[in-house]
Amino acid sequence: MTNVIANPYTSADWNVLYPLGIVALGALAVLFVDLVSKKHAPKWLTLALAGLSVIGAGVVCAQQYGQNYDAFGGGFLLGGFAVVMQELVLVAALGTLALYATLGDEERMAGTIALLLWSTCGAMLMAGAANLMTIFLGLELLSLALYCLCGLRENAIAREAALKYLILSSTASGFLLYGMALLFGSTGSVALAAIAQAPVAGNPMLWIGCALFLVGLAFKLSLVPFHAWSPDVYEGAPLPVTAFMSVATKVGALAVLARFVDAAVPSAGAEKLLLPLWIIAGISMVAGNLGMLAQHDLKRLLAFSGIAQVGYIVAALAGGGALGLRYALFYLIAYTFMNLGAFAVATAISTQAEEGSRLANYHGLAQRRPFLAAAMTFFMLALAGMPPTAGFVGKILILSANVGAGYAWLAGLLILGTAISLYAYAKIIRAMYVRDEHAHAREAHPVSPLAWASAAVCAAVLLVLTFYPLAPSNVIPLVR
Amino acid sequence: MIHHVMGVNGFYPLLMTLWLLPLAGAVLCWTFGPQLKQLAGWLGAATLGTSFVLTLLSWSAATQNSGGALGAHQSLLSWIPGFDFGLLLDPLSLIWTFIITGVGFLIHFYSIGYMHGDKAFARFFAYMNFFVFAMLTLVLSDNFVGLLVGWGLVGLASYFLIGFWFERPSAVAAARKAFVINVVGDVAIMFAIFVIFTKVGALGFGDVFANASQLGDWVFVVCVGLFIGAAAKSAQLPLHTWLPDAMEGPTPVSALIHAATMVTAGVYLIARCAPLWSVSSDAQMLVGTIGALTALVGAILGTAQWDIKRILAYSTMSQIGYMIMGVGVGAFEGGVAHFFTHAFFKAQLFLGSGLIIHALANEQDVRRMGGLMKKMPFAFVAMLTGVLAICGIPGFSGAFSKDAVIYGALAHGHPWLYAIGLITAGITAYYMFRMIFLTFFGSYRGDVDPSELGIRHPELAGTPAHDEHEPHEHDHAPAWIMAVPVGLLIVPTVFAGWLMFGEHSWWSQFFSAQFAPEHTVATPVSDVMTTVFAVAAVLAGFAIAYLRYGAPAAMEHAIERLRTETVRMPGALANALYFDAALDALFVRTSQLLGTLFGRLIDPLVIDGGVREVALSARWLGTLVRSFQTGLVRAYALILVIGVACFVAYYAIAGGVH
Repeated sequence: MTNVIANPYTSADWNVLYPLGIVALGALAVLFVDLVSKKHAPKWLTLALAGLSVIGAGVVCAQQYGQNYDAFGGGFLLGGFAVVMQELVLVAALGTLALYATLGDEERMAGTIALLLWSTCGAMLMAGAANLMTIFLGLELLSLALYCLCGLRENAIAREAALKYLILSSTASGFLLYGMALLFGSTGSVALAAIAQAPVAGNPMLWIGCALFLVGLAFKLSLVPFHAWSPDVYEGAPLPVTAFMSVATKVGALAVLARFVDAAVPSAGAEKLLLPLWIIAGISMVAGNLGMLAQHDLKRLLAFSGIAQVGYIVAALAGGGALGLRYALFYLIAYTFMNLGAFAVATAISTQAEEGSRLANYHGLAQRRPFLAAAMTFFMLALAGMPPTAGFVGKILILSANVGAGYAWLAGLLILGTAISLYAYAKIIRAMYVRDEHAHAREAHPVSPLAWASAAVCAAVLLVLTFYPLAPSNVIPLVR
Repeated sequence: MIHHVMGVNGFYPLLMTLWLLPLAGAVLCWTFGPQLKQLAGWLGAATLGTSFVLTLLSWSAATQNSGGALGAHQSLLSWIPGFDFGLLLDPLSLIWTFIITGVGFLIHFYSIGYMHGDKAFARFFAYMNFFVFAMLTLVLSDNFVGLLVGWGLVGLASYFLIGFWFERPSAVAAARKAFVINVVGDVAIMFAIFVIFTKVGALGFGDVFANASQLGDWVFVVCVGLFIGAAAKSAQLPLHTWLPDAMEGPTPVSALIHAATMVTAGVYLIARCAPLWSVSSDAQMLVGTIGALTALVGAILGTAQWDIKRILAYSTMSQIGYMIMGVGVGAFEGGVAHFFTHAFFKAQLFLGSGLIIHALANEQDVRRMGGLMKKMPFAFVAMLTGVLAICGIPGFSGAFSKDAVIYGALAHGHPWLYAIGLITAGITAYYMFRMIFLTFFGSYRGDVDPSELGIRHPELAGTPAHDEHEPHEHDHAPAWIMAVPVGLLIVPTVFAGWLMFGEHSWWSQFFSAQFAPEHTVATPVSDVMTTVFAVAAVLAGFAIAYLRYGAPAAMEHAIERLRTETVRMPGALANALYFDAALDALFVRTSQLLGTLFGRLIDPLVIDGGVREVALSARWLGTLVRSFQTGLVRAYALILVIGVACFVAYYAIAGGVH
């Protein structure tokens, strides 16, 4: 008698993970090539392999569009939402590769890129994760690779950043895991949908489980007051890693949050259960923008900006309406390109010796690099939500969703935050256009064509988004 | 929601062309500047001339009125549902377009002479054309978003042009100041727009005004937000300090942007939002008062200036104060009328002063002028007509519009503003004739040692006496290029006011369908008597100016008198009533303080690296240990734990209630 353990999963389940598998294989291929090379794999080869795997994953992922399948017993929900989120993560990865092409050194390229690709896998897993197990798996895969990426620089600040990230993020992961345990304990299931079925009344275990789960996510999203790590880590990490973190981490965590709000929240107590989330989103919008005022470093500035931007996106989910979710997705897509674009400009003006992140590097940029200055202005205006940019469209949409769902106070905080933020973003624009004594001291140095092109592509996508704002959100189906 | 459109929908190719032509001109001048050389100026002027002709050809379309839809509306693209992007040419925007393209054309033409030989000749025209495009976007937009886009773009063009001679540190500082103050305004307008959208759910002018009642009590907030924006752009108290400094730009820029068009954008905004203003009497009171005070303060400061362009700058501030007072109290027709006439006579004054500055190799200090009437009779005639118009001598254009504004304040129930308006008229006459006497009468003082005139630091008193980037003495363009626009401007400077003459004037016919009938109160004084009072005030101001600067006795001791006046100038006047210092304390310092304060709350590492606690070590372990010891990570962890505690407490209570 043989004891056959039946494999519960069919090939259909594994097919769902093709895009993820391609990226993971890409990581292995990069390492393998480096191993068999005499000294180090050539930079271009590493990047080409990685780029190919990311693009390949994107193509395969796009072909899954329109399919709906609950893979792994509900662990990974394939659907329009997962596809769009995975594509966003892949865009972030591709953008980061372009930045590495400019800034990375050959010696560490293969290891770095492999870590980046694994981190991408984690975020992609989060995009479709629908039970507590896969959520945690994705989150940790994303984070563990990022800790290493942050510290991969011969630089004390980078190490400090990695360490802070590791310590604080692990603490948050602990909270998240504890919350998950409580949720599992109160429902007896790891599926998000099971939480929605659980009785709300007289079930403190469920409530506290939700609290800790949301804390964990809020930390990954760096919402105030769980934000303290992000400016330091953004500043310390190498520029491409910061760019990747500012987009991919947020896309992954927002995907989980959106799915949680959509699927896991019991309709009976929804308003009460999620209120703290909206409150910290509101606080983040204002506090994040206030925090920008004192900054003199683009990376720190964008860290605070990211705090506020995520606040806007989370606020769009308030009310739980289908419309709010679409608008949140629209804003998230726009945010991805604004941020990547800004980092591309920063990379373009960087040299091997000095990252172009200090505000002083932007003085008089309009004279030296009119295109880059114009593109940066466009990204800053978009982040600030000035018309006629996609950022403005997104904010208007979020406002209407908030007001429609009866969260006028969130709309008010959004307006207040926007007003404050214009000051901070204008600081960069002013530095670029108003000439001053620093301008003469800085020589224009050659600009990496790839970073230049990345900025151009981001600007072009944003322009399209600006004037056809409803096109993507019409294509994006609701959470599934 | 029913879609309300102001204007008759249709296809208006002329309208689109007149809007886009200046942009094309800017792109061409920018791209082919080195090849075009002097042709860039002609190209820039030609595009504006064509736009002006197209404006005239669009006249009937702009004034058509069918079924309550006034003017021409051209849809450009659909954006967010219920909100389209388009152009609207109705009587109000037509008047602005007329001035922007018409006066803009003359100033461009003049600039061909004035900027002749400047090394960045083509760049200048590219900026100027770009400015015109931005300004047209502002006034032709059919919605608040397009208006704000134009609003931002004119600001951008403005500080490019203020800082045009960027080798001068003072020009750079002036551009920076204009930038900061304009950001304040942009934020306020954006705030108002968000409130409008939140409350009304639309951003097209037609939709918003048709549903203005949905704003409820918020209409006051919206009006204040819009007005702060208007005040920043239109140099109203206390956001006016950038305008005198903006005179660092070339004189044609001062004429076009900082006198005739851009600085009146605030007037346009309020007139455009007349349906909002007319339902908020609080907003009317506030805006009317600030306008009147600006008129008064501008005039008072105008009496203490020595730089001819700064005199004109303060007079601009003062005259825009009149306009804002007019549209603020609800006398929209009068306020817009004063914009219309002011554009002519102020452009005239600036271009006239440009003739003098150009001829005297960039001397701008009136103490070092004098007796120029014989040398420059044409400039004298040009300046004199401008001064007569700005003072409101009956028959000249300014008289009709200014008296309409002053009387309008009374008719809308604001006797105090009426009084301020009359007093300001007197002061205006004083400082304007002071300028005329100092510049054109007496004997030439340019060869007198500056210290004898009380000028202690000649290089600080005004702009540098000789600037290599300004046109050179030996390389003049033909004189007629600069003379023709000035000569042409004399015609409307003198006669434009007659359009507003009489009970059923052409002007009130023109705007009959634009503005709702105004609610006026019975006035103790008639409009004719108002003119009489105003003339009396002007004569008084003239008399004082004559006694102090024009009388033979005063002329004889001009040098000693000027020295005494310079030395004994009260500190408050010499320092422009300390507005700069106050603004600095209020905005710059406060924002720094706020930044630091909130920075400390939100970000323990406020100043990058400055207070970094973690001793950086080359070793991992060292860093690890130290970062725990020195507390930064602990502080972060503490924040985290407190946050978690709050969260858990809430959920425990909320979950336990059931």
